[in-house]
Amino acid sequence: MFFKRKKEQGRFAGGGLVLFQSVEEAIAAEKVLQAHGYEVKLVAPPPQLRKGCDLAVEFNIVEKAGVERLLRQKDKHYAEMLPVKGAGELLDVVKVTYFNDACMVKAGNMKLTFDKNTGVILNISGGGCPDIPFLHISMLDKKLTEVDRPKDKGHTLCALMLDRAFVGALEIFANKGVR
Amino acid sequence: MLLICGTIPRDDLTIVTGEAKFDGDKLIAGDTEISCTQGTAALVSAACVVATHYQAPAPQVIFAGDTGNGQGSRLLYDYLSKNLPRINPDILLMHYILPVMGLMKRVCEAADKCARKPVMMADASAMYAAKAAGLAGRFDIFTPDLSEMEFLADAEAIHPAYISHHLFRAEIARIDELITAAYLQKSMAKTVVVKGAIDHVVQDGKITYTLDRPDLPQLEAIGGTGDTISGMIGAFIAAGFSHYDAAIKALKANRKAGEYAKATPATKVREIIAAIPLALNHN
Repeated sequence: MFFKRKKEQGRFAGGGLVLFQSVEEAIAAEKVLQAHGYEVKLVAPPPQLRKGCDLAVEFNIVEKAGVERLLRQKDKHYAEMLPVKGAGELLDVVKVTYFNDACMVKAGNMKLTFDKNTGVILNISGGGCPDIPFLHISMLDKKLTEVDRPKDKGHTLCALMLDRAFVGALEIFANKGVR
Repeated sequence: MLLICGTIPRDDLTIVTGEAKFDGDKLIAGDTEISCTQGTAALVSAACVVATHYQAPAPQVIFAGDTGNGQGSRLLYDYLSKNLPRINPDILLMHYILPVMGLMKRVCEAADKCARKPVMMADASAMYAAKAAGLAGRFDIFTPDLSEMEFLADAEAIHPAYISHHLFRAEIARIDELITAAYLQKSMAKTVVVKGAIDHVVQDGKITYTLDRPDLPQLEAIGGTGDTISGMIGAFIAAGFSHYDAAIKALKANRKAGEYAKATPATKVREIIAAIPLALNHN
């Protein structure tokens, strides 16, 4: 039985589940993720989270952005991707602070600040996952309209929160600095 | 010896070890030049400035290149798990690294094997991993911002992106409730420095110090201004200050550096770090 395979003691992080409609989809997704270096395992989802079949892929929830992107690129279908514990959805509260010509958009632990007149990204702050310094360097001093979305370049939950701040900033910039 | 460990956003690096030096613009680690930007580079640069000010030994670093896929992070966890007892640092400060709970546990086990257990500090995702793995009580110092304090207060959350919505309404008046909740569920280090519009020093679950002057709300926008506080705390402890005094001195120096740098939301963190010596001379 796949889901009775013993966990490698002390290494596997887990915390996230990809749910599928069929067992075949789950097995195919596991192969793709493993082939690209992700540490995953097939598990039986808890009854309250079960969506289609009774097989799911467990992964390190922090790597959600990268896992989502890879499955999409490889055309691997899934029903849902969610954390095993805690809030079932990413935090969706966005807060905005204005400083004269600058506007700071905060989503969860991530903040993106841009020039309201030019759309140039002035700063990115907050977060703690290792793709954030990379995204910071990639996006800084460039226009909001000329950079890739953080979720298309990042790998982690911090990148997904930065993406939410980025989308909020784009909307405010398109609306001439007004939320 | 202050040992700082974290990832650097480069694809061309594996493990880099050595003494860190900051020349006012660039950070040199061993033989490798690294841009002083938000993240572990800013943290180490600020620590270097404090060490220089007190003529203390320069921080030692272990970096791994990682742009987010976690490969460098795993190398770093592995290196620490195998080598910490040999390195035997006085202070271990862990920073940007992909949170992998089982691997963080191995690092803590390796720290326990040191001849003398190091002062354990965690910020950023190292703190996420420590809390999520139930290892917070093994750490001496955490340095969260307010949203990360909400994460520490959420018993179920394994990352700040998944905290309960009701916790993300926290205003400064409620921080004591967050601290109490986090303390009761053992998600706090012994000393926690909450960085924000009002900085708080928390010891054993009690707020023992607050700071809100000079009032510089623009610092929140500048990537790396929390990292600099964490780095300075580590360096102040290495220079002989108590954890409490180190926290206060770092919080004061960071705000004063922001003031001397005439910070705006567009200011880069290296400009803040460049002003830290001035702040230390007047701290």
